[in-house]
Amino acid sequence: MPTTPLISGYGLQRHYRRGIETVRALDGVDLEIRAGESLAVIGPSGSGKTTLLNVLAGLDAPTGGQLTIGGQRVDGLSEQQLTTVRRGFFGFVFQNFHLIPTLTVAENIVLPLLFLRRPVVRHEVEQVLEAVGLSHRAHHYPRELSGGQMQRVAVGRALIVRPRVLVADEPTGNLDTVTADAIVSLFLTLVNREGLALLLSTHNLELASRCDRIIRLKDGQIVPPVSPPQSLR
Amino acid sequence: MNYGILAWKNLARRPVRTALTVVGVGMATAVAVSLGGFNLGFRAAISRSIEQLGFQVMIMAKGCPYEAATLMLKGGTGLLYLPESAHEQIRTDPDIEAITPVFLGVAEKPAGGPEENTGPSAFTLIAGIERESYAKMKPWLQFKSGPGFDGGRWFSPDAAAEAVMGFEAAEYEQRKVGDLFYITVVPHGKTEPEFHAFRIVGVLERTGTQDDGTVFVPLHTAQRIFGREGQLTIVGVTLRQFNAIRMREFEGRWMSIPEVQVVSLEQVKGALVSLVGTAQTMVAAVAVIAILVAMIGVLNAILMSVYERTAEFGILKAIGAERRQIFYLVCLETLILCFAGALAGSGVAAGGAGLTDATLRRLLNLGLTQPMVLITPRLLAAAIGGAIALGLLAALWPAARAAALRPVEAIRNQE
Repeated sequence: MPTTPLISGYGLQRHYRRGIETVRALDGVDLEIRAGESLAVIGPSGSGKTTLLNVLAGLDAPTGGQLTIGGQRVDGLSEQQLTTVRRGFFGFVFQNFHLIPTLTVAENIVLPLLFLRRPVVRHEVEQVLEAVGLSHRAHHYPRELSGGQMQRVAVGRALIVRPRVLVADEPTGNLDTVTADAIVSLFLTLVNREGLALLLSTHNLELASRCDRIIRLKDGQIVPPVSPPQSLR
Repeated sequence: MNYGILAWKNLARRPVRTALTVVGVGMATAVAVSLGGFNLGFRAAISRSIEQLGFQVMIMAKGCPYEAATLMLKGGTGLLYLPESAHEQIRTDPDIEAITPVFLGVAEKPAGGPEENTGPSAFTLIAGIERESYAKMKPWLQFKSGPGFDGGRWFSPDAAAEAVMGFEAAEYEQRKVGDLFYITVVPHGKTEPEFHAFRIVGVLERTGTQDDGTVFVPLHTAQRIFGREGQLTIVGVTLRQFNAIRMREFEGRWMSIPEVQVVSLEQVKGALVSLVGTAQTMVAAVAVIAILVAMIGVLNAILMSVYERTAEFGILKAIGAERRQIFYLVCLETLILCFAGALAGSGVAAGGAGLTDATLRRLLNLGLTQPMVLITPRLLAAAIGGAIALGLLAALWPAARAAALRPVEAIRNQE
């Protein structure tokens, strides 16, 4: 029996003005994402991948269409209201890691708990560190880590809040092939084990093919094929 | 993990900038505390020094009353004298509670005794007083006791060769009760110095006033050796009821005596405070500029930090931070900067109060014996509180800017 979508968007638009020109970063996207599902978004640069992820994750507000997150209509909400919806529901991983350089690995991981006013439970932190394979690096600083390890810290920071949806925007863009493969493996393990939904944007078709579904964006619109190519799975 | 640790670690990213900002706040606080301490201490020092003169009113020869008062405080002598008859007249006033005539003169001290009068000379202040009325005016005067000082007493009223030494005068001259003390004086109207020897009959306890450096002799003895018989430097008066009305009435009754003026020490106090008021205003202006510069320094440091961390604030918002939490974080960083600076500045000002006092004393030679810089816990608390409040005021704009960043734009702008 199909579960209720965690996120559903219909006719999603994100238009903005650049000088006299109107840029249609998203132009009528329909999409649903359910728990335990991994979705890869591919497409050339400027196709709207990041914008789609930002809109679906409540980081950016759509300028048209309907968007429901966790059963709540969010189109038309203010940034402050979107923050409330977003908090604890999403975990984010970005291409450039964006770790706080003066915090240790463990401190970077527990940082979101401070803002969510949740207590730091030691064994939960240890579980996350183990899940991302950084138990032995808990007290190291980001400058002492490799790119792959830094991205693992970012994954740990996303996981500590026990999110329903993991949003990863080009998470392997700064990593070598082997490390990138390991990071995507980690994502998929978490999807299977924790029942998260994964929203992954990437240029790498091989990595994307490991997800349950792939959508391809072009000029802000989804273009066929919308189903995973079986030959690559 | 808490906000304090996060804020502290954020500041630690740019140690040089953080340290310079703290130093700026510290310097401004030190200036403000020193100035505040001077304001407090100066008024208190003037009040205490004037109260310890023992008089409410001074009667003296016409001239600049403030100069006369300052000379009294510093222990100098005036160039003008009033006739002793004025004292006889004024003492009949029914409003007077106590009155004492004083003659002040400066004598030269030979380096040794009469046999070895060859070394370099120094000067000492000789006060000719009436022992009963003077002691009544200054009831706190006590004779020093202990080996060499026991049995101290005032001189006999007409003793020609007895003297009482103030605490510091005796210590400086290394004199005890029973010792001899020598001076030379050129009497008024003569050209040759005359030599005088006095037997020390008592040494006073320390009072913290100019009395400590004075040698007291009977009034008529002082007048005679200085060749000023029948003349006084001042007459000190306390009234039964001292207020503006009584003072005006008293002044009106005795201003009619030729060449005599009546000066309230309250007036002198006010005049001395206002004399330094201009300097205080200028220093206050410097302090205000220092505080403004420090505020701009704080504003600059925090604003730079916010600009540098634009993407980071976007990430923090993406992972769950609310606007007010970002605002709070930036304000907390400012608070740490300002608190550290204010604490250091207050410490420097409190620790260096002695140096500030010595400097002010050299610049403003008013003869005050009390500390001119008074740094109180309340002043320190006000300075630290003020520095934090002004710092937070400076942080409002950067904090609001950081809080208002939209996560998508913040991240995109620094990707």
